[in-house]
Amino acid sequence: MAKKRPNTEQEQPEVKLSKQDQKTLDNLCRLADTVIEAAERVRDPFLDIPSRSLSNVKFNRTKKFIEMGKNTNRRHLFNLSQAKAYMQTLLIGSGCTQLIKQGKTTSIRGLYYLLKHTIEGTKEETFNEQSESDPIIEDLEVLSSSLREELHLYADKKGEMVGPLTLIDNGDEIDCSRMGSGGYGIPSIVEPDRVQFKKCTAKFILHVEKNTVWQRFNEDKFWKKQNCILTHGGGQPPRGVRRMLHRLHNELELPVYCLLDNDPWGYYIYSVIKQGSINLAFESARMAIPEARYLGIRSIDFERCELSRNVTIRLNDNDRKRAVQIKKYPWFEGKKKWQQEIDKMLENDFKLEVEALVNRGISFVTETYVPDRLEDQDFLD
Amino acid sequence: MATATDPATSSSSTGKRNATRRATAETMATKQRDIAVSEFFAKNKHLLGFDNPRKALLTTVKEAVDNSLDACEEAGIPPEIWVSIDATQSGRFRVSVQDNGPGIVKKQIPLIFGKLLYGSKFHRLRMSRGQQGIGISAAGMNGMLTTGKPVLIVSKLSPKKPLHYFELQIDTKKNQPEIINGKGEGIDIEPGEKGLQFIKGNKIAWENEYPISEQHPVAEEVASGTRVTIELAAVYKRGKGSVDEYLEQTAIANPHVTIHYKDPEGLSRSYHRSTLELPAEAKEIKPHPYGVELGRLMTMLAEDKGATLSGFLCDSFSCVSPSVAKTICDTAKLSPRTKAIKVGQSEADRLYHAIQETRIRPPATDCIVPIGEQLLLKGLKHVVPGTFYAAETRPPGVYRGNPFIVEVALAYGGAPQSQKVTRDALDELLVQSDIRSLRKFLIDAFQGIGGESADRILKEAKIPPRCSPAKLTNDQRAALHEALHEVSISEGQAMTVMRFANRVPLQFQAGACAITQSIINMNWRSYGLTQSRGSLPNGPIAVMVHIASVWVPFTSESKEAVANYPEIEKELRLGLQAVGRKLSMYLRCKQQVAEEEERRSIFLRYLKEVAMSVSEIKGKDQQGLLERLQKVAIKRTSTADIKLDERGKKVEQTLEADDNVIIIAPPT
Repeated sequence: MAKKRPNTEQEQPEVKLSKQDQKTLDNLCRLADTVIEAAERVRDPFLDIPSRSLSNVKFNRTKKFIEMGKNTNRRHLFNLSQAKAYMQTLLIGSGCTQLIKQGKTTSIRGLYYLLKHTIEGTKEETFNEQSESDPIIEDLEVLSSSLREELHLYADKKGEMVGPLTLIDNGDEIDCSRMGSGGYGIPSIVEPDRVQFKKCTAKFILHVEKNTVWQRFNEDKFWKKQNCILTHGGGQPPRGVRRMLHRLHNELELPVYCLLDNDPWGYYIYSVIKQGSINLAFESARMAIPEARYLGIRSIDFERCELSRNVTIRLNDNDRKRAVQIKKYPWFEGKKKWQQEIDKMLENDFKLEVEALVNRGISFVTETYVPDRLEDQDFLD
Repeated sequence: MATATDPATSSSSTGKRNATRRATAETMATKQRDIAVSEFFAKNKHLLGFDNPRKALLTTVKEAVDNSLDACEEAGIPPEIWVSIDATQSGRFRVSVQDNGPGIVKKQIPLIFGKLLYGSKFHRLRMSRGQQGIGISAAGMNGMLTTGKPVLIVSKLSPKKPLHYFELQIDTKKNQPEIINGKGEGIDIEPGEKGLQFIKGNKIAWENEYPISEQHPVAEEVASGTRVTIELAAVYKRGKGSVDEYLEQTAIANPHVTIHYKDPEGLSRSYHRSTLELPAEAKEIKPHPYGVELGRLMTMLAEDKGATLSGFLCDSFSCVSPSVAKTICDTAKLSPRTKAIKVGQSEADRLYHAIQETRIRPPATDCIVPIGEQLLLKGLKHVVPGTFYAAETRPPGVYRGNPFIVEVALAYGGAPQSQKVTRDALDELLVQSDIRSLRKFLIDAFQGIGGESADRILKEAKIPPRCSPAKLTNDQRAALHEALHEVSISEGQAMTVMRFANRVPLQFQAGACAITQSIINMNWRSYGLTQSRGSLPNGPIAVMVHIASVWVPFTSESKEAVANYPEIEKELRLGLQAVGRKLSMYLRCKQQVAEEEERRSIFLRYLKEVAMSVSEIKGKDQQGLLERLQKVAIKRTSTADIKLDERGKKVEQTLEADDNVIIIAPPT
């Protein structure tokens, strides 16, 4: 027996916990304490989870971003419809505790696999799909007031970056101007302790919606000509990309311009970058960039750029509904130009993707469209 | 009539030809004579229950067993009955029934077995199985008419006295017995070893010793008894209306009886008594005043031997005390001291109406012996599987002055519909189904299969639940069919009704019987069962109804259905409602428990995960927390718990303790 002991210790080497880690663990412990306390008093344990819905977010007009309200949803263990979610919340908590104690990080998919198992004595799985565990992770973030990276989790990386910028990522020096055609993949966690900026000569940031557009700009060496940083977020930008934009904007004082599709989803991407998302309103302070500007595509571009009918896509009912919703968001409501923009799109009854500009030539967007807008300072706020 | 027989001539000359008379009153008179009752019944066998060969077999067994049970009970001996049926040749069976009753004295044997309408039971008002004195002799006559074989009777009065052995035939023309053996005198077999040798040598059927069982641990001689053997043309089939069913139901209604049964296929079976206590002895009673009709009242008055009217009323009727007699007389404006014999027609009419108007207490109950709630439950539980049993014995009622008692017992939770589905029917259902998953198909297609039982069935059949019903292979269908029969689920089949009159099962003419009609006319939906209009309710449920009376009103001599007297119908309804209420309480409790158990199982399922997670976070002892959480879960789902510990306990709180129900907790 005595001989075996060192073995087990080797498997789990003593990890030195950072101050942040200790704080996160304390937060998680507090959650566990509610269960123990309730059990000791023979009471029904519950969790009060701040609600992550439109009804519980507030647009802070002075800070100009979305903040989370004080509404909570109570999740009971002894309630048929909530019992499983309650169990899952604590299970995620235990998974994160393991990660922190072992000094490891994992993807949210990794955590899903770590915790997925059959519940003893049944055929039921703790989680059937990753889509079940992901929202619970977000619940735990708000519940333990810890950020995802503090829980040692990261999302799948999505989004690339290129430009005259040198940074240090986990100790490695990376020159973002020498990334070839692939670009630097923006990691999920870009906190200062992980990523530091070393040198930057760029004048601004151009954020485009998706990879295909980004490829066009990179191939045409747009960032060299315009001396800017070029990013994309693969549609709705993940937290890593948003945090990176936020840091670049605030630490290096680079203005952010967004080139997104002219449709409700493009508008909402802009809204998320600028004001923060409804779902993750608690992170707005470190992610939202209220000074970001919307460069295009605009509803007037069909006429302005003399595009062909062939490149338009008709709006469907969903698009129309979403457009009306977005129009009513408080942060769009007060802006006349945005109201006109959305009305114009609804009047057009079609949407325009960035790729539609190909109609005027393959490099029209990089050589004419964006430079013109930048020159004219023609943005939407 | 005359013209109609001769159509050729009828149209031309109608009047004159009619003058030729075919028979005169005198010639007709030569043919007019007595009809022996035996002749009548020989021609009208169906009236006695010998309509077809299958029923003839049952009726023969039934008459013999009923007589045996009556005899044993009257003598106070716990009845033990041997029934054996042997196939002698194609389409012929020999039925032999023996009891351990008091035996029959030698002189009476030929009359009891060889003369129709001879017996002790017709002239008295006393609860017994037999009523008319036709049964066994008619059975013998039927055997004789169909096979030509005589009826064989062995009777033993005590171990020391000789056995009487008779071979009898009935002279149907005279309704008289004919003794064949012993030169018309029968044979006496001496007791002891020598007699046994003789019995063996002559192949006379006789059970000399009780079979070894719990009640007879050592070989014991059958001290007395009677055995009757009848050979008849018959058909033996199992199932509804069979001898097997009759004996099984007899065992339910007579928990004090042991029956040994050997069927024609040689299989032996015994129904052992669940109590040694005999039913209390039924007393003979005088008629109740309410039941007497005007004509009968006048006859009784005329037959009276010079008593006063008051004395007449007190002596001739039950439940009439001198003060009641006085009230009746006062109402009829007659003096109680009038001589009964002198009461005229108009006075008798007044007297009759006065009787109807006067409050007279119902007839004494001790003349009828109900099975009793406890024994009903015992008997039913012995034979019908189930999880809940309830019984109700109604207070006695009176129809036409005859006291009667209705008893109702109910068993819930037997075998369900899905276990009865045939392979062909299942195949058809599967092919016709457009439901995408087999699990859903089972839930939809069979009443009573829920998600849980569907899972159990599919697991048993080893078929994945998402399989399409229409695409099953032949092997899978066979496996599914087998699983449907194997896996036990409840609900969904129609109610089984067992009818009894004076402890005798009624197996035919269910539709014509007041009992069946009362069950159908009742709204069982309000007691938690499903029921379509005009039919029996559905569910894993068996109902047994017993009518005990000094004179059970049957619709015919074959005693197959009870007639619809409003008083009987009312009591039936009240009895059924009483067990229905108990059932619905049970079903409600059961549903609550099931729901709460489901809730609890879901909670308990997650508790371990929660406890594990918490201990992972806190690094604290997991078991202690788990136990505490389980405690909370159990407290939260306490409805299930009260009944989990001791099901009966909780139910006792809602159903009162003396309500006579048995609840069997399912095996956990």
